[in-house]
Amino acid sequence: MIAITAPSQRFSRLLANPSAGAILLLVILIVAMSVAFPNFFTGINAGNVSNQMVFVLLLALGMTVVLITGGIDLSVGSVMGLSAGIGAYTITSGAPLVVGLLTTMAVGAFLGLINGIMITKLGLPDFIATLAMLGVARGALFLWTGGVPIIGYMLPEYYVISGLSQPFGFITVPILIAIVAVVVVAVVLKFTSYGRHAYGLGSSPHAAVLSGVPVARIKVIAYMISGLMAGVAGMIMAGRNTTVAPTMGLGYEVAAIAAAIIGGAALGGGRGSAFGAVIGALVLSITANAINIAGVSSSWQQVVTGGVLLLAVVFDRVSSLIRARSARLATRLAHA
Amino acid sequence: MFPSNVTAATQVGLAAEAPIVEARRLGKRYPGVIALDDVSLSLRAGEIHALLGENGAGKSTLIGLLSGLSNPDSGELLVDNKTRNFTSPRQAQDLGISTIYQEQTLAPHLTVIENVYFGRELKRGPFLDERAMRRRVESLCEEFGLSKTDLDLPTGSLGALKQHVVQILKALAFDARVVILDEPTSGLEDSERQMLFDHMRRMRERGVALLWVTHRLDELFGLADVITVLRDSRWVAHVAPTDQTPDSLVRLMVGRSRNLAESSTVHDGREGLSDTEQAEVLKLTEVTRLPLLRDISLTVRQGEILGIAGIAGAGRTELARVILGADRTDSGEVFVRGRRVLIRNPRQATKLGISLVPEERKTQAILGSMSIAQNISISSLDDVSTGTIVLNNRKEKNAANRFVTELRIRCSGVTQKIGTLSGGNQQKVIIARALFNKPSLLIFDEPTQGIDVAAKTEIYRLIYDFVDKGGAAIVISSELPELVNLSDRIVVMREGRLVGELTGQRRNTTGGTDNELAEKIMAMVAGVTEQSRVAEETP
Amino acid sequence: MSVRTRLTQTLAIDGLPVAAALALAVVFFSLASPFFLTQENISNLLTQSLFVIILAAGMTFVLIVGGFDLSVGAATGLSAATTMLVLMNGGALPLGILAGIATGMAFGIINGFFIAVMEINAFIVTLATLSIGAGALQVLTTGTQLTGVSLPAFAWLTKGSILGIPTGVVITLVIVAALEWVLLFTTFGRTIFAVGTNPRAAFLAGTPVRRLTFSVYLLSGTIAGLAGVLLASHLNSVQPGLGQGYELSAIAAAVLGGVSLAGGRGSVWRAVIGALFLATMAQGLQLIGVDPLWFSIVTGASIVIAVAFDRAVQQWVIKQLAAATTKRQIFDDSDASASVSADAPTTSATRSSVRNTK
Repeated sequence: MIAITAPSQRFSRLLANPSAGAILLLVILIVAMSVAFPNFFTGINAGNVSNQMVFVLLLALGMTVVLITGGIDLSVGSVMGLSAGIGAYTITSGAPLVVGLLTTMAVGAFLGLINGIMITKLGLPDFIATLAMLGVARGALFLWTGGVPIIGYMLPEYYVISGLSQPFGFITVPILIAIVAVVVVAVVLKFTSYGRHAYGLGSSPHAAVLSGVPVARIKVIAYMISGLMAGVAGMIMAGRNTTVAPTMGLGYEVAAIAAAIIGGAALGGGRGSAFGAVIGALVLSITANAINIAGVSSSWQQVVTGGVLLLAVVFDRVSSLIRARSARLATRLAHA
Repeated sequence: MFPSNVTAATQVGLAAEAPIVEARRLGKRYPGVIALDDVSLSLRAGEIHALLGENGAGKSTLIGLLSGLSNPDSGELLVDNKTRNFTSPRQAQDLGISTIYQEQTLAPHLTVIENVYFGRELKRGPFLDERAMRRRVESLCEEFGLSKTDLDLPTGSLGALKQHVVQILKALAFDARVVILDEPTSGLEDSERQMLFDHMRRMRERGVALLWVTHRLDELFGLADVITVLRDSRWVAHVAPTDQTPDSLVRLMVGRSRNLAESSTVHDGREGLSDTEQAEVLKLTEVTRLPLLRDISLTVRQGEILGIAGIAGAGRTELARVILGADRTDSGEVFVRGRRVLIRNPRQATKLGISLVPEERKTQAILGSMSIAQNISISSLDDVSTGTIVLNNRKEKNAANRFVTELRIRCSGVTQKIGTLSGGNQQKVIIARALFNKPSLLIFDEPTQGIDVAAKTEIYRLIYDFVDKGGAAIVISSELPELVNLSDRIVVMREGRLVGELTGQRRNTTGGTDNELAEKIMAMVAGVTEQSRVAEETP
Repeated sequence: MSVRTRLTQTLAIDGLPVAAALALAVVFFSLASPFFLTQENISNLLTQSLFVIILAAGMTFVLIVGGFDLSVGAATGLSAATTMLVLMNGGALPLGILAGIATGMAFGIINGFFIAVMEINAFIVTLATLSIGAGALQVLTTGTQLTGVSLPAFAWLTKGSILGIPTGVVITLVIVAALEWVLLFTTFGRTIFAVGTNPRAAFLAGTPVRRLTFSVYLLSGTIAGLAGVLLASHLNSVQPGLGQGYELSAIAAAVLGGVSLAGGRGSVWRAVIGALFLATMAQGLQLIGVDPLWFSIVTGASIVIAVAFDRAVQQWVIKQLAAATTKRQIFDDSDASASVSADAPTTSATRSSVRNTK
């Protein structure tokens, strides 16, 4: 009996630790890529991948925090575009670069704040509130730019900040920013009471209420972190693209959610980590890179992202079903 | 005999010091239900205070008031001789009152240490002081049987006992002076139970006041210092265990209920049943679905009412769900009218002639914003439609009107929304829904939950009518007098198993009284063993 | 009864607020612009709003059953593309229409499978299929111009007229009427309401919840396919990004029409009024010189306002219901107490003395 159940238990334990599965996936992906494309494992390509993954990584970090509390943020793509647009505009109207960059981030956090207020104070479902924000922020950007991309904000320093010029080789400023963001989010999640409350809230809202956790505040801050991350991503992307098109960030919410879920965050809340977000973002970026190297039209990108998201949730669902079943049947052993 | 006042506790003479918590004539009403009526209680340091009562006797309501989950409508609650009004559980906790609920109130993804300090983490600067928290939990854990390796596991992966211990640690880490335990031994193995009792003794030694809610009477002796018994939302007795036996406690818990008189009048009016063997409607052989159903074998015959007794969580509702196909069995066989079947979902059960009147009407039975007619027809839409596709409103209305008259549903019309009816009338609509299917087996899960006395009698009448017309019924109920009077046979469930079978009052010819039978069942439900009964009776 | 109570009671009637808002908008824009009430403008307005109306009708089913479908916009766009593709490659018109509808159905089947059978969160599943659909449209439209079908019958689908009414409007009316009929007068529609109102109760009462949920997503996908065919006929060209944002408008229209996001409440005609209101706002704002780009903001904001409003009204209704129930039950109790009055003294006597069994 025990001999039969042991492997399945080990299997379910592996699934219970989602980052292990994701790391495995990542390793397989890297090995497959290196075998299929000799020029995958080059420094230049590694630099490409890391510089491309910054956006998804930042968004996935914020999304992970929101998912941990049991929510979801569909608005990150639009928030990214609108905050970049407003930041770029402040620079074109003569503000110093620092002010422009700070504005970008502040707008992101502010839009996140509005999301949080809609959810906690107006009682809107998280999906609806952030879906509305997706529409409104995107609409505002279109309206305000009149559909014409914003240009003329590229001060010399912005090239460095966005990673377009690379004074330190492929370790660009955006990569440094991303590393800092990962470390900060990891520290907040692991070593502060905020992080503890976020995990507990997502794990069991009932327990959070009984333990006196300030539920509304935890949620609002989570959406603000997500908005802030979108702002930072927008700030970098504005520099990378040298223009802010009204479609900037369109569809990025799908990639962000996919990356977070691959990294072990779950829709039910209570699970996920900054490290997982890195793995998830890596998986997505390498897939994108594969499409690129293989010479497949980049139009496929969106299809693949959507497919990866679907696969990730299906995997999450199947593994949780297996876990629930083995937990139920394990009582047989306990009572035998 | 004890004097008839609420200060009886002092007469028990176990604790002379002032109580930490004192409840004075607490009352709580919900719409249409008096959940707690005039109940008083004192909790003293270093004392284990047991709270006894059947399901629905008001224990949960009382715990809710003491732990700050709800507010009393009358009476007052004193902590350290000061009147307190809790608006949240946190306030009660801050005053040193911690509650260990029966249901899961830990965050399953957090580790033991994280859960113990959840909501009140120790900090050093902006960061968590993990070391201080670990030190404090480690200093407590070994005494309570948790190893250091357990501390870093998510609580969701721990067994029931360890989860209880985590809740105990959570209470102790904040120097709780009063710990309320709501049926802490349910779901525990015997050996685990003993360990939990040791933990409770240890808490008592630390000077904690414990309020212990339990069903298992045999556990009380040698552990509880004081016992309070509730019945029908009221305070019944305040006794010392040394003066009691399990049987005398059962008698206090069951008492003489008014429902009994009510239902027997209905009973008297019934025609007797012929003794000829009736056809088997349902047969289960060794049906198992882990974790709550183990090797259940039973049969239900035409014209018979089978009662199922047991406490909440004994597996009664799970049994009903398996019969209905709402959950799959792990193993075992199900026969309907002699034919082996595999019921995959309630729809299939409906087609086989099995219908359920679920417990928790509001969440599991009524379609609140829909009309009475729509609620009645939902299981039998084929009968009120043309070609099973297009609804025939006239057929639907006629059928609904027929049931409203037959079942005496009080309403302004069949288009009235079911949500606006009283509990009893809602239940009649749900029974109409089941009857409309022309079932051969009806399962009633707590059919009179939250219903006034007059309506209860009518529900009993409906069940009898159904069985007299050749149906078979299974009745699950926590109200023992009700079960005793309704059933031909009663099976008792405990921890997922059938532990006994008795002849019900409906066909009882041995001349035993209702109370004796109820007490016998209560003893089985509570796990009072035959030996202990014999041992008591011999001296 | 206070004015406030009466006002709230009126607002609680489903569909009334949005109908009033529509009327107000029409009056306002007719006063503000002399062109608003011209036949040309109205037919323009209707043609513009057809697609959202159809999608909102399908969305109503999904919302009533307690689900959600973000993929309808992408499904519409992709269906339009497959229709165009078939027609451009010389396929017959019925084949083209079939291709479009089949594309929509494929979305429905995929969504339905993952949501109903695998029981995965509807938002995430349909977000993923949205992404896949929009990406597929991108793939189909890069490098190929999907335009220039010269079948008169194809153009007639939206631009022709039956009895002086644009064909597109007639087709939409037929679809809307058929869907409303299904929702209100069939066993299928009834079970949708039951499942949306209380899925657990509906399941225990023998409703095939899983199959029903699947059918509803299939229906929503099919409707999106139909909308795609009409959209292709209307535009006679398909661009990448076609249909983008339609899901937001469809949801907004349904929610404005009082279709509850929690499931169990709503009707097709009310969603249609919601869609007409949105279209009127779009057209009217444009006529009085407001940038049409405001539309997306109006749509998003209207979702928030409508849901918050609905929540407030429902809370009020529930409070009223609870108050009514309490009164009724007290009445019942007094009825009941008459029959048990004989027992009452005994029970209170039990309470006041400690019953010892020795």
